[in-house]
Order: sequence, then C-alpha cells, then structure tokens
Amino acid sequence: MKFITSNFVRCAVKSCDGTEGSFPLNFQDCKLQLEEQEFNEEFIISMLERLDWSALVKVASQLGNNAIPPQKPSLDDINEVLLKDLHSLLLETQIIEGKMICDNCQHVYYIKDGIASFLLPPHLAK
Amino acid sequence: MLSTPIVKDLDIDKVYEPAEDTFLFLDMFEQLHEEQYFTNLNSNSTANFVLEIGSGSGLITTFIAEHNIIPRSYNLVSDINIVALRTTLNTFNDNTENTNCDALRCNLADSIRLNQINYLLFNPPYVPSEEIPSIPDADDISNTAWVDLALVGGNDGMLITNNLLNSLNNILAINGEAYILFCARNKHPQVVEKFKSKWTNFQVNCVIQRKCGWEELAIYRFKKMS
Ligand SMILES: C[S@@+](CC[C@H](N)C(=O)[O-])C[C@H]1O[C@@H](n2cnc3c(N)ncnc32)[C@H](O)[C@@H]1O
Ligand SMILES: [Zn+2]
Repeated sequence: MKFITSNFVRCAVKSCDGTEGSFPLNFQDCKLQLEEQEFNEEFIISMLERLDWSALVKVASQLGNNAIPPQKPSLDDINEVLLKDLHSLLLETQIIEGKMICDNCQHVYYIKDGIASFLLPPHLAK
Repeated sequence: MLSTPIVKDLDIDKVYEPAEDTFLFLDMFEQLHEEQYFTNLNSNSTANFVLEIGSGSGLITTFIAEHNIIPRSYNLVSDINIVALRTTLNTFNDNTENTNCDALRCNLADSIRLNQINYLLFNPPYVPSEEIPSIPDADDISNTAWVDLALVGGNDGMLITNNLLNSLNNILAINGEAYILFCARNKHPQVVEKFKSKWTNFQVNCVIQRKCGWEELAIYRFKKMS
C-alpha cells in the first residue's frame, strides 16, 4: 500500500461511518520500502488540494517521519525541496507489512505483502 | 485504435477472464477519449481519484492509465479476491510506466473515505442466480467460490450492484461519475427509473449498449450533480 492511500481509507465497519475515529486509521508495526519513481511536479501539486493534511502529518509521524510541516503549505510558499519530499513520502513509500487500527471500534486491519485487507468477518460485514 | 494491455499469467480458475463486458468498457473509454470527454471536463488542475471496484485481471484500469484517458489520475482498485488484486497490479506494471495505482482488498468501496471518488467503474457480477456463495475464508485462495463470486449476482443479478447503487451518493464527490455495466436480465430500465426517483441529484444515461451473442450489455453513467 502506498502512503498516499492512507489518506483515502477509513474503517469499513458500518457503525463507524462518519465517526471521527474512523479516519485516519492508526498505523502500527509497519515495514516500509522505498520504490523509486519518476518525479512529476505537476501531479504532486494537483494532489495537494485533495489531501487531508492533518491526517497526513499524523500517519507520517506514526511511520517515523516528523519532517512534514504541520500546516499545509500554500502554493506560494511551496518549493521544489518540499515537493520532492512529498513525492517520496506519498508515492515512493510503500507499506509492505503492518496494522491499521480504528480509533472508534479498535478493529485491526492488516497489510500483508503490500496489500491492505478491509474484508470484515461475517458478524461485522454489512 | 488504442492498444489493449497484455495480461500475463492469468489463472482463469481463480480470476475472471476478460470478456465482452470488459471489452465494452475499453470501447466506451476509447470513444469518450476520442470525444475528449474527460479533458473537457477537467480544465482545472486538481488530481482525480479513480476507483475500479472488482478489477479482476486489471485490464480496464490499466487501459485508462496507459492511455492517459483521465487526466491527473490516481487509480485505486478494490476486489474481494486477493489473486485478482495481485494480477491487477502485475498487469498495471507490465503495461505502463504510470505508477499511480494501489490495490485494496475490500467489499465495494466500504473502506474508502466518503465523497472522494471522481470516477468509479464497476463491471459487477451480474448473472442472475438463486443465491450468491458466501465469501470463503480470506486465506483460502484455491476455493472455487472466488470465480463464482465474479459472475453471479443473485436475484435478477442485481444483489451486488444494488448494494453499490445504495451507497453511490456517499462514495462520489460532487460532479463525480460512476460507470456501471448491466445485462438485459438485470432489467436496467426499471433499475434506472427507480434510482432516479430516489436520487434526484443524479443524472443517469446509457453511454454504450451492445448485443453480444444472446447477452445484451449496457454501461450507464451515474453523475452526481450536487
Ligand atoms: C465480472 S468480474 C469483472 C473483472 C474485471 N473488472 C473485468 O472487467 O474483466 C467482477 C469482479 O468483481 C469482484 N467482486 C465480486 N463481488 C465484489 C464485491 N462485493 N466487492 C468488490 N469486488 C467484488 C470479483 O472478484 C471479480 O473480480
Ligand atoms: Zn471502526
């Protein structure tokens, strides 16, 4: 799972819909891998608007990256160094193994071999 | 003609083999691409989130990414079948330099944050059946139920698609579009009428229709206007 995807996934349990704890999930015991990818400045800028910044900062810090500015940079004060850092975090950082936990219901989702599973056991499925 | 991605090492006992329904999606996207439909819609500069539910071999998502059909897109795919997800990622990587793709094992869009998806694609299990097999244990990858789950859709073949239609308003961003395939036995004219009377904020129209042997297939666009 690419880091950027962590900004778009939430707890799949029905009763967690819309609750504050269901996003972002808490990332624990993660094994990361960097997969080099071509830098596309325009794409990173086009993505900025779509990101939930506080979720991004929180998950980055859970994965050991505390270098992300706490406030979303405006288009005026963004520079190439920051864009490259974001590129590396969002698109090159792969979570290979790990856990994602919902703050609301404490359900644990697993990432195995790079793929996150949100399938629920029958008693929790909708 | 845009080239069709190559799918290597497809295990057809475990993953849905691309068929007429899959190719109807490719033809539809090629047609929309020629009309510059997506570039005209996306004159601003924001990234697009594309979600293909039930990506199977990954042919559809790979096709639209390889030919850059939707501008500035990040492609998410979901499937309940883990072998399908691995095949999708392989197909994607084998055919395109584009790396903006990620795969989630998930029922429909249940784990996707609400109101974020700009384009949703679904070639669902649509064949009418008495019942739908229950989902096997997640690690039981050689269970034959996985391929059945790619095909059968219960009563009128609409069980899975109806679940999606009921949550479409929560999944799509404003101006977001869902492209969903139906066969004649799904009774899609009635399904669409019912949907339109419930969700007055949507515009629905048939984009492409084709007779394939004894099967008649159609892809509808559901656009969330507000
Ligand atoms: C008809 S196949 C289409 C495969 C591929 N998109 C294509 O067009 O060739 C349906 C796919 O949906 C998946 N599927 C079935 N039920 C699902 C569900 N509830 N959530 C997500 N995917 C599902 C199946 O595993 C299968 O890969
Ligand atoms: Zn939860």
